[in-house]
Amino acid sequence: MILWGCTHSYKQLQKLDGDVNCIYKFRPQFTTAIYISQVNIIGNYLSGLLFIKTMPDSSTRIVFSNEMGLTFFDFEINPNGNFKVHYIIKKMNRKAVIKTLRQDFELLLMQQLNTKSAEVFKNNDRMYYAFPQKNGSNYYITDLNCNTMLGIEKASKRKAVVRIVMVDYKNGIPDSIGITHTNFQFTIGLKRIQR
Amino acid sequence: MILFLCGTFTMQAQYPGFKSVADLGHFKELFTVTSKNIQTIKSDFVQEKNLSMLSEKIVSNGKFWFKKENKVRMEYVHPFKYLMIINQNNVYIKDGQKENKISTKSNKLFQQINRITVDCIQGTVIDNPEYKIKVFENNQSFLIELSPSAKALREFFKNINIFVSKKDYTVTRLELYEQSGDKTVISYSNKELNTTLPDALFNIK
Repeated sequence: MILWGCTHSYKQLQKLDGDVNCIYKFRPQFTTAIYISQVNIIGNYLSGLLFIKTMPDSSTRIVFSNEMGLTFFDFEINPNGNFKVHYIIKKMNRKAVIKTLRQDFELLLMQQLNTKSAEVFKNNDRMYYAFPQKNGSNYYITDLNCNTMLGIEKASKRKAVVRIVMVDYKNGIPDSIGITHTNFQFTIGLKRIQR
Repeated sequence: MILFLCGTFTMQAQYPGFKSVADLGHFKELFTVTSKNIQTIKSDFVQEKNLSMLSEKIVSNGKFWFKKENKVRMEYVHPFKYLMIINQNNVYIKDGQKENKISTKSNKLFQQINRITVDCIQGTVIDNPEYKIKVFENNQSFLIELSPSAKALREFFKNINIFVSKKDYTVTRLELYEQSGDKTVISYSNKELNTTLPDALFNIK
């Protein structure tokens, strides 16, 4: 609990002159990857497969289906910020749902980072690479030497609203990904499978 | 004339090598009678999900068991573990992490989707008013084309094609065409008919 309080109080961050470019090595290189997915959303549980592919035009396609093959959604995310819903089932076709998923995926794809406005902070044994947003910041958190990425946080001025953990990178692709929302019950757990 | 030619071409190109079955009544009768003789099925299956826009396939495989009435066990073993048991009106699902029990009585859509498998195998699908049906044939197989008329199903599927072997009237292949443009194909192989299958296989705890 103490750790929790210290880690997530952004007021305690000390500004430093650091190199923000060091985090680019943690940008996942999803050539193609399939993840077993577990989703908990406000008392509902959903399992399925998440397929991620980088297309020749450098856009990323993210397709979620159930194990029996039925597609739930198919999104396209572009490094320039363009976003397209190719398909979504009626039950999920809500502005808030699409917006939330888009934000989460953009956060973990790390493609739209504005280095010019970025700042570097330190807190105890962690480095915070901050990318200011309209309301708050996106933080990419590493150890002091920027050798390991410890997590990603999308935060308001005061607290984290989304936390993402990506671990066990193999050839640039994280083996496990966890996404947690703090404002409402919404978690996504992804574990990569080999075809 | 052009329109007419296009129409003719589409019809022929729809299922190459297959022709329309003229006597639907006779087919239905034969299919229903033969299906009645099938008490159990045990087989392997391969599922291929085709992501058309991405030129990608997700292939999985596993084991399939069927027992009369209304009992199905479908166990995916590679590249992920997933178990689905249908026993009458109940469905049990176990993925890598969680177990889930669903009463299809309270979940209409789930009931409709799962009934596809059970109905196809029991031969009752051709009398299901929730589909418009066309039947085609070649030397080896019948092809039953189902177009969902129920709104809930139509939201997911454009049509569902069932390939039935003329040899033993069992389903060899299911093709599910989604509204998204994607297609999932399930092929059944190494079939064993009417062997003894313990009820425990279909137990929902």
